[in-house]
Amino acid sequence: MGRVPCGRSVGGMIEIEHLTKRYGKKTAVDDLSFTVKPGVVTGFLGPNGAGKSTTMRAIVGLDAPTAGTVRVNGRRYNQFRSPMTEVGALLEAKSVHAGRSAYKHLLALAHTHSIPKRRVREVIDTVGLSDVAGKRVGGFSLGMGQRLGIAVALLGDPAVLILDEPVNGLDPDGVRWIRQLLKSLAAEGRTVFLSSHLMSELSQTADHLVVIGQGKLLADTTVDDFVNGRSGEKVKVVSPDAAALAERLQGPGIAISSPKTGVLEIQGTEAAVVGTTAAAHGLVLHELSIQRASLEDVFMELTADVVEYQQTRKEGVAA
Amino acid sequence: MTTTMLAETPATYSPPKQFRLSGLGLLRSEWTKFWSLRSSWIVMVCAAAFGAGIGIALAFDYAADADTGGEAAEAQMGLSALDVMFGFGMSAVFIAVLGVLFISGEYTTGSIRSTMSAAPKRTGVLWAKTAVFGTIVLAVYAALLLATFFVTQLIMADTPAGGVGLGDTGVFRVLSGYVVTTVYLGLLGLALGAILRNSAGSISFYIGAIMVLPMLMVQLPWQWVRDIAPYTPGNVPNTLTMPDTAGAQLSLGQSWAWMGVWMVVSFGLAAVLLKRRDV
Repeated sequence: MGRVPCGRSVGGMIEIEHLTKRYGKKTAVDDLSFTVKPGVVTGFLGPNGAGKSTTMRAIVGLDAPTAGTVRVNGRRYNQFRSPMTEVGALLEAKSVHAGRSAYKHLLALAHTHSIPKRRVREVIDTVGLSDVAGKRVGGFSLGMGQRLGIAVALLGDPAVLILDEPVNGLDPDGVRWIRQLLKSLAAEGRTVFLSSHLMSELSQTADHLVVIGQGKLLADTTVDDFVNGRSGEKVKVVSPDAAALAERLQGPGIAISSPKTGVLEIQGTEAAVVGTTAAAHGLVLHELSIQRASLEDVFMELTADVVEYQQTRKEGVAA
Repeated sequence: MTTTMLAETPATYSPPKQFRLSGLGLLRSEWTKFWSLRSSWIVMVCAAAFGAGIGIALAFDYAADADTGGEAAEAQMGLSALDVMFGFGMSAVFIAVLGVLFISGEYTTGSIRSTMSAAPKRTGVLWAKTAVFGTIVLAVYAALLLATFFVTQLIMADTPAGGVGLGDTGVFRVLSGYVVTTVYLGLLGLALGAILRNSAGSISFYIGAIMVLPMLMVQLPWQWVRDIAPYTPGNVPNTLTMPDTAGAQLSLGQSWAWMGVWMVVSFGLAAVLLKRRDV
């Protein structure tokens, strides 16, 4: 079988079309469609059990879809002649035999694709495991296991990187390191797809977001649009003349609330308008700022229904 | 939060061309995996110590008895030169367990995910494991059997059981029979590990269904159960290690054929399940 004829495939693009995966009666992924593009970091966001890991496992062919297709670079994963150079994956921390050293684990994987020892040492250096590469993995901390998993993903120098919860167990230094690493890999034109249930993490790393809940697509958008499009911006004002300013700002489409005395939160206008209005009337401002909803807030709002549904259903089962 | 500006013309990345998945690569990978685990060494040494140890101990015992009791003792024990090798028949269980662990260990630790992501057609991994494991067991046991044979012959040199050469009738066949039996049972363990994917479950199944059940079957009061007992996977290689095959339930040819049948059945099932199941 050759390439997909439609010719819309770009190098390194992940295309998921109507993916459904059931385990017995449980539907883990439900008619999910989205694409992940090269050159940017794409975050994959969802509460625990939303189907993130299942989707990622389907991309590298570990789980066969119940329905739908998953393609990377226009092909099904098992048709690649050198899978490790196409996709590098970190699926679960410490999926390594505890009795084997990090170096031997990487070497065994490298052998499958005739990747030289030089490259093995290179990725060990990249992830900062040089001092412990000869030690048995059983003694590794979660963070070291995570770094080894990243080394495995990088081994084939792949066009696509898929990382399931890569920051789990990393210390703050490690978190900063992986953010930089992922951004630089994306800047080289690679496809970087990472999942997290930590929304704050993705807001600092990802450019694009795919949000799922209960195996269904909830949003597929840029991080900025995701935050702005949902809750909009608020202008916050701290002023001794708050009451007077509120009066002057009243108008159609403008909502003003005062969480405490001397503080206003205004929706439906811009900071410049508020500042100009205050100046025109000689009102004193101590603070004028734009409040953006955090990714956390938006995410909670978006998945509230889904999560509630899960909880009531669980209670129903327990009862 | 900062907005990352997308470049108008993003860089296009093309992966290295020189890295290629190959059968030879899979063989090297499995070879590295086998020898990089301490458990492989330990189990191999245990199996060797068990088989060779029993052989050498029996040879010494026999030689001592022959010195003191002479002809009478020999007649009483009825031991021939190759009977001292029977420890190797029992040591095969170590090899079968090693075969199980060689693949089930990947499932219990989760390393199967990186293995199968690297070789998504999957069955290549099974064949590579089979070839590597079979070859290692074959080579180690061939050397071990030969060495034990010569050492025991040296010990029993002055007894009626001494002075036997490799070229004597049946000697080479029985020695190679032990090697083949061990390779066969080791591979049976490997296939079992691939089918059941759980170390404890596979080892229990091997001991229960392959080792104990055939012994139990001949004790049961039903003739048809006793009739099929010689054809069970654990029993079919028995003829290979008999110095005298006249009273055997299966002929040598039948023994080989049935070993082939069970290999095809177990590995066929393992390969089909490997293709069909999620990892």
